[in-house]
Amino acid sequence: MKIMNCPLNGPRNISEFVWGGEVKPMPDPAATSDQDWAEWLFLENNEAGIVREWWCHVPTSFWFIAERNTVTDEILKTYPAGDVFKSRVDFAAKAEKQS
Amino acid sequence: MIPAFVPLKILRYGFRKKYPAERFIPPAKDLKKSYDVVIIGGGGHALACAYYLAHTHGITNVCVLERGYLAGGNTARNTAIIRSNYLTPEGVRFYEQSLKLYREFSQELDFNILYSERGHFTLAHTDAAVRTSRWRAEVNKQLGVNSELIYPDEIARLCPHLNMSDKVRYPIMGALYHPPGSIARHDAVAWAYARGAAKLGVEIHQQTPVTKILVENGTVKGVETPRGTVYANRVMQAVAGNTSMVAKMAGFRLPIRTIPLQACVSVPLKPFLDQIVVSGSLHVYVSQSSRGELVMGGSTDPYGLYSTRSTLDFKEGLLGHMLELLPMLGEVKVLRQWAGMTDMTPDFSPIMGLTPVKNYYIDSGWGTWGFKATPVCGMTMAHTIANDSPHDLIKPFYLDRFVEYAQVGEKGAASVGH
Amino acid sequence: MNAIAPASHLRRSFIYRLLAASGAEFGEVNGGAVALHYGGSREAELATARRLGLADLSVLPHGGFKGKGTVEWLTAQGLAIGPDSNVAYKQAGGEWAARLAPTEIFLLDSLAGTGALLQRLNAAWQWAAAAPRPAQGYPMPRQDSHAWFMATGAFVPEMFAKICGVDLRREHFAEGAIAQTSVAKMSAIIIRADRPAKDGRVTPAYHVLADIASAEYLWTCLMDAAAEFDGKPVGLRALRDLEA
Repeated sequence: MKIMNCPLNGPRNISEFVWGGEVKPMPDPAATSDQDWAEWLFLENNEAGIVREWWCHVPTSFWFIAERNTVTDEILKTYPAGDVFKSRVDFAAKAEKQS
Repeated sequence: MIPAFVPLKILRYGFRKKYPAERFIPPAKDLKKSYDVVIIGGGGHALACAYYLAHTHGITNVCVLERGYLAGGNTARNTAIIRSNYLTPEGVRFYEQSLKLYREFSQELDFNILYSERGHFTLAHTDAAVRTSRWRAEVNKQLGVNSELIYPDEIARLCPHLNMSDKVRYPIMGALYHPPGSIARHDAVAWAYARGAAKLGVEIHQQTPVTKILVENGTVKGVETPRGTVYANRVMQAVAGNTSMVAKMAGFRLPIRTIPLQACVSVPLKPFLDQIVVSGSLHVYVSQSSRGELVMGGSTDPYGLYSTRSTLDFKEGLLGHMLELLPMLGEVKVLRQWAGMTDMTPDFSPIMGLTPVKNYYIDSGWGTWGFKATPVCGMTMAHTIANDSPHDLIKPFYLDRFVEYAQVGEKGAASVGH
Repeated sequence: MNAIAPASHLRRSFIYRLLAASGAEFGEVNGGAVALHYGGSREAELATARRLGLADLSVLPHGGFKGKGTVEWLTAQGLAIGPDSNVAYKQAGGEWAARLAPTEIFLLDSLAGTGALLQRLNAAWQWAAAAPRPAQGYPMPRQDSHAWFMATGAFVPEMFAKICGVDLRREHFAEGAIAQTSVAKMSAIIIRADRPAKDGRVTPAYHVLADIASAEYLWTCLMDAAAEFDGKPVGLRALRDLEA
């Protein structure tokens, strides 16, 4: 079986992981338009080549980032999400509409 | 004993001029400078579209550009199942039209596609699956599709080989039975459309990749290939698997992930399995081809990939479940394995019709449900191109449904859980 | 301890029917019905446990604490917890504090099964009355979320090699090591906790914790995997005897 290196648990069978899709910058949900939100939600680069993606080690529910070549099926590297996301992102709740 | 002169007779027969081998497609000519319509991709969908453009709409100045060889992608890699027992009214109407076209196919195109009506069983192993089957049966019947929820006694009568024991992990609790479910020879479908289109004047160019799509002021002008630039009034892409990469050349993104789908066949066996059997919980579908091979598939791979490699994990999982359904296959061997690259969409429905680029059309989002839609895709896309307006049957599958939050949720009818 | 009918106890294992079908004799431990032995001779069952035995400890007390400040709070309560995650730390009373993550501790009682430590911790923990509340974690009930099995004997690593991707051989998986992995296709936690006898003989032993809703499935898979090595179910008595 293909082996993926979990930054927390070490090398494991790929069947222990779940693919989470591309790492995409999330727009501020309170400020963005419906259209931009839908684009962030649904549109994919779906690159044939090297991609940066979310993966989850299911037994520990640990989410991390993997760089992978989608043509050769090689996992290039894996690292904790904290290497990319350095600080907590807080979103202000959207103001209630006055009726 | 074969008499000694028989081989000679066969040889003589072979050299006679009376029965020349039929050439389906005329030899390739040089590419012209321009066409009315250029179709990117040379699979079943593209060839069907070319055929209906010429046949129904009289547009014959059409060029099909195929990177590799004809029908060498997903047309050659599916498991050839045809059915219309979907979950959403939009889906049912669309696939039902396809099924009708398939029934008349061999007659209309004068080409035997070995269309074989088998009866399609979607097994339910949980209360939730029984409920979804009931829901699908009612939607189907409402739209005139022959579909019914049946229970173990009837399943055992119709399909006596299935293991109906309750001493397995997922006992069979019911099934959605769809008598018109069929199989056909997939290559023949593409060849028939290719021949039909070529007879009407469509040019088919294999070994001709599109390397660039020319767009000016938001309107497509043509495509570049290693054999030269080709101008066109209208361009369509039908390249499941590579959809996102081709769309990127045209300048837009899609809600599609490219994920491999693997399948395999067993050694040929005497005909014993008349039906098509699918189990969502067990991630299995199986039918017996006219050659006697069991054609087996399962769910898509667990992650995206532009590759048609096969894995042992997939077969271990698939065959373990196969043995739960049909334990007598324990000694049977796998003969061939392969994979295709599917276009998975978030709502398990296709993406068809107009695009953000004027005069550029798309036939995509063919996750694991593309073969059965081949005729109706050709018919509706030809209509869409000829009129620059989407055919009624494909209106719900427009690209902008995602940004308008108007998806067509077909997950409950994907043949196996994905 | 006299034999009891597990159905007469509210606290019994999810798989008590499977155990009973294998010949288990149940006794009461801490108010629950636990499979103590399987009817044969005490020596024979001990020999099975040394070769390959599977025991169900789901009724024995287990629980946990989680959240920021958990380790500091538990340390203040007298527990000895080391710095590394994916390591279980043995406590003075024979309990294990398994550090699943920097701020998550899974507690397994000793095989005496008195529940004393967990009772003391649960009684001591309380939500501070007013903000700002100190970071002290929060209780994570595990008694009814996780089935708890123990696999013992020389053939355990070989048995797990059939159903789990992690190498559990002793030279690769030290005492106290934790693997949060997949066993028979379901998520599980494996903790190595050998059973040393007074004569110095050490029997390899591994705790297995997994979703209790699939306890019957997992037990059946483990028994199936163990059959090749002549593995059999063993009771709590044999596990205790391993340390005698």
